[in-house]
Amino acid sequence: MSTILVVDDEYLIANILSYALEDEGYQVETASNGQKALDILKGKRVELVITDYMMPQLNGEELAVEIRRQPLLQTLPVILMSGAQAHEGRGNPDLFVAVFDKPFDIREMIAKVKELVGAPKSS
Amino acid sequence: MEQLKRLVSGIDGLDALLKGGLIAGASYIVQGPPGSGKTILANQLAFNHVGQGGRVLVATLLSESHERLFQYLSTLSFFDPNRVGNQIQFVSAFDTLEREGLDPVVKLLRGEISRHQATLLIVDGLLTARSRADTPLDTKKFIADLQGHAAFSGCTVLFLTSSRLDDGSPEHTMVDGVIELGEVLVGSRSVRRIQLRKTRGSGALSGLHDCEITEDGLQVYPRLESLYSHPSGSGSDEQGRVSSGIKVLDELLGGGLPGASVTLVMGPSGIGKTSLGVSFLAAATPEAPGLHFGFYETPHRLRLKASALGHDFAEMERHGALHIGWQPTTEGGLDEVGARLLSQVQAHGIRRVLIDSLGAFTRLASNPARLNEFFRALTGELRARDVSVMATWEMRDIFGSEINAPAPDLSSIVDNLLLMRFVELESELKRLLSILKVRDSYYDPALLELIISAHGIDLQKAFTQATAVLSGTPSPVPGA
Repeated sequence: MSTILVVDDEYLIANILSYALEDEGYQVETASNGQKALDILKGKRVELVITDYMMPQLNGEELAVEIRRQPLLQTLPVILMSGAQAHEGRGNPDLFVAVFDKPFDIREMIAKVKELVGAPKSS
Repeated sequence: MEQLKRLVSGIDGLDALLKGGLIAGASYIVQGPPGSGKTILANQLAFNHVGQGGRVLVATLLSESHERLFQYLSTLSFFDPNRVGNQIQFVSAFDTLEREGLDPVVKLLRGEISRHQATLLIVDGLLTARSRADTPLDTKKFIADLQGHAAFSGCTVLFLTSSRLDDGSPEHTMVDGVIELGEVLVGSRSVRRIQLRKTRGSGALSGLHDCEITEDGLQVYPRLESLYSHPSGSGSDEQGRVSSGIKVLDELLGGGLPGASVTLVMGPSGIGKTSLGVSFLAAATPEAPGLHFGFYETPHRLRLKASALGHDFAEMERHGALHIGWQPTTEGGLDEVGARLLSQVQAHGIRRVLIDSLGAFTRLASNPARLNEFFRALTGELRARDVSVMATWEMRDIFGSEINAPAPDLSSIVDNLLLMRFVELESELKRLLSILKVRDSYYDPALLELIISAHGIDLQKAFTQATAVLSGTPSPVPGA
């Protein structure tokens, strides 16, 4: 089963997105900032990370840089969702496979997720 | 005496209330019901602070999304999306608060303050923290811890809350200042109010002050009498005389109106008060410009009126001798309009003003009990700026012997008093003008007939053959 990690300090967005992904059949983990996301990645296999930009402790860009630096996570795809910093994400295609402007259409996000990790496999 | 370092809010009226701004490194509660403007106040302050080189951390304990906040703020002129994520960081601590409690929130924000080198911390949703606290002591500790960490790095803190905390609440005892925003109904009009409930380490203009929310954010209008409880200057010593604009009147006044004095022209509707004022303004020059601060005539109508009296106002405006500041009465509150008058005087170096009329000012007042103090402060400040003022006051009765003063204790407001009446004499309706009072000066107390023509205003000594003229229905002097 594909696991997706949703990282956002705003629990409302993290929740809405994770419910939508769960409805599609994905397994979802949430973290409220980049540092907590890294902690989860240490102990769990994740197929995709969807992250906000502006967050406490470690922001989305710092998280993506950290992921690229780790040998085991180098190829892990990361999607950025942000209002104010979407343009910075687009300037960094090495870090982010896709960038969504907040507020985004949840169906487009789901479509992108399917394109990247495929439909959820039943375990 | 030590002066504490200030964090200028950039909201002029608020900085005036705070006597220079927030105290840098201090902590404040901003409270008010939903929709009262707390978020606007805080964000406006944040963007202004960034404009002065500061760095801001906005931490929300609420569930509202930041994107929604940005959409809403983007309708306001101070919002600059390029600052967001750079000099202003928005982080949510809601999740941490929910899952882990107050202490981890303090720890998180403490880390964020130093990570962003924030000089201003805004914590939105103090009520949420309070509801998460087990005891009032926990809330107190939360505030104490946060402001302790913030103060250590010289960071000023604003706690926003929609609950109405009273003066004795643990939250209030902890912070250095409390700013309260609210709304009251005056008749059917809703008026926004701001009050500084507590200001430690600083003087402040106490009481309630009007404010409003425009596309430029929160605008605060300090009560004029608190702002100018002492006039900003002493005026010049040598006042001399200032022409009233009417030659004969100047002669009767012994050379003109006393300089930097306030003249009130009282009379019924249609008597020619504005015409007298127009003549007063016509004596303005580019070196000593005049301002028409009127509530009735539009600039166009005023120019026509002046032209009928032989004055070319448009030409005077072109040369900078005259400025027309038309005030539609429906707009703004008393202090806002008063502040507007003073700022126009300041901007153009105005030396003579016609206020047409003082009565229109009184209709702006939501609390008439203040009017005397308001006018005293306004005229006091205008005198201090060496401005000669003429103001009109419309009397209710067109005819009759009753003469009402516009406000009690009139002499504290006006220096000179001119009375105008309609008088029926010899089957003709005549306009009468008499000088009732002039500051520190002799004047000719004769009753004068006012004649308005295309050459302007003329005054003639008249009514010498009649008695009880001020009643409007005189009788001939016996034997005359």
